[in-house]
Amino acid sequence: MTKSKHRNSQELLSPPVRIVATIVLAVFALIPIIYTLLLSVTPDSEVGGDNLLPSHWAFDNYVQMWTTVNLAGGLLNSLIISGIASMIAVILAVGAGYVITRFKFHGRQPYLYSLIGLQTVPGVMLLLPLFVLFASLQALLHVRLVGTYQAVIITYLTFALPFATWLMVSYLGSIPVDLEEAALVDGATRLQALWHVIVPLALPGVVVGLVFSFLTGWNDVLFASVLTSPETRTIAVQLQAFSAAQEGGSLPLYGQLMGAATVSALPVVILYMIFQRYLIGGLTAGGVKG
Amino acid sequence: MSIQPVPETAQEAPALLQPVRGKGPVGGRRPLWLMWPSVALLVLIIGVPFLIAFYISFLDLDQYTLRSWIHAPWVGLSNYVTALTAGNVVGASTLTSLGISVAFSLLTTLLITPIGILAALTVNTEYRGRTIVRALYLVPYVLPTFVTALVWRMMFLNKTGLVDRFLAGIHVANINTYWLLGPNSFWAMVITDVWASWAFIYIMVLAGLQSIPAELYEAADVDGANAWQKLTRIVLPQLRHILGLALLLSTLNHFNNFTLPFVMFGTPPPVQADVLPLNIYVSSFQLFSFGLGGAMSVITLIIMLIPGFLYIRTLRLGETAA
Repeated sequence: MTKSKHRNSQELLSPPVRIVATIVLAVFALIPIIYTLLLSVTPDSEVGGDNLLPSHWAFDNYVQMWTTVNLAGGLLNSLIISGIASMIAVILAVGAGYVITRFKFHGRQPYLYSLIGLQTVPGVMLLLPLFVLFASLQALLHVRLVGTYQAVIITYLTFALPFATWLMVSYLGSIPVDLEEAALVDGATRLQALWHVIVPLALPGVVVGLVFSFLTGWNDVLFASVLTSPETRTIAVQLQAFSAAQEGGSLPLYGQLMGAATVSALPVVILYMIFQRYLIGGLTAGGVKG
Repeated sequence: MSIQPVPETAQEAPALLQPVRGKGPVGGRRPLWLMWPSVALLVLIIGVPFLIAFYISFLDLDQYTLRSWIHAPWVGLSNYVTALTAGNVVGASTLTSLGISVAFSLLTTLLITPIGILAALTVNTEYRGRTIVRALYLVPYVLPTFVTALVWRMMFLNKTGLVDRFLAGIHVANINTYWLLGPNSFWAMVITDVWASWAFIYIMVLAGLQSIPAELYEAADVDGANAWQKLTRIVLPQLRHILGLALLLSTLNHFNNFTLPFVMFGTPPPVQADVLPLNIYVSSFQLFSFGLGGAMSVITLIIMLIPGFLYIRTLRLGETAA
């Protein structure tokens, strides 16, 4: 009885209002998604037609699109680039986060605040000089940089590393020092204590850091559109180019485009759903994506 | 501060710095070297490029002088003058773009706030199926921005898109309304962004709601408060900190949103949707006026110092309160 009273007193929307509001919001959220799924199984020739519903389900779109645009290559490139960048970011961030939360030293606070401040810097402000830098290094050293995995990975670290560091600072700060002290007293080295005691305890933080850095990389269009070549194009750039190519063509392949969009969004949605519990916490702490 | 799933705890403004013992857990050498790789990397990939961005904003740098950019002609402030008065040949001037960006980021933030609060209120109390509703609310938000842009590009297609079909169906607008060209493009961008980002406010508000003690509601019941009074006298004041942070972050993120207009409109975009990041991108990487792009970046950075400073101050306040 008291329990249900609790609930009632926190209830700010009466059930009918709540139900109507939920339905309106859900419909608003779902219509574009349902429309996308519908278009993805509509034959390309019927997308511009009078009828919203296709004459037959063109599941064939999901087969053809892999040859129309190099989807597999794009997915693989995104996986490699975002995967490596997020791993580097989290490994470095664990080290930095450990030092920041355990020791006092000069420049500790300014360092942290500059990490936060970096969130406000527009990516294009960093892309421009990095591109100029890569281009001149190329001319100087006679190596190829623009268009390689390495160049993109480095630029992804500009947002992944500050974010991951900040996240690790907040996670590691909540782990009591007693545990590692015990390990140190038992003769473990600092690195052993970090690896065997701290990292397992901070595993949720490590996972959030990895997943978030990975997703920001996966979602990036800005850096990849300038720094990738046709062989290293990520899925985001691949799709953007595919979409742009539909303009002015005789028959736009909108059905396949929407199929490809669905496939490239699926890993992200699945990752979010699996890690929902942790990720929402990470979001309220960091607010990375807008 | 620990990061917890929303249902259990709420986040106060992140308290970054816990009290730290002077010498660390146990005496002995402090392994400060663990930090060096990340510091060195940040200096190399952010610090140095930052300085270069300032430098090239004073140069006449294009695709021909790029290879030996150190020797590119020094032109003083002329890039800044061009940026502010003319802009690049296909787009708006920096001032126009700045106006569009500010209007876009403030307007979207303003629109998503009530939606996000309402959504949080619909799932704040327990009922059957709440988990599904919560997951469903997140779907538009978790979609990659380039997918969102593609989806809404289709929605806004002239004559055949769902928006034009719907508006014509209810006799509000002509079926031949252009959304991806001309003045409507700004509104197309706003609508898309509202759809994609309201869940951000929802998540933050929901986190805040969970932290309001039940006693406050009960006390309000005893005093005979109605739901509206509870919302305005208890809930919103209790949420003001996290909501402030959310609004600030949202404005910043929307201001820096490049992907949405880039994928939705292509380049060059309609002048009405030529937000600042896109304008810099087109100037730099499609017209190869790197100097002009640099000047525009520096101007953007100076403007971003205002919300950036506010953001850091908000976090600092959270720290003293914790």
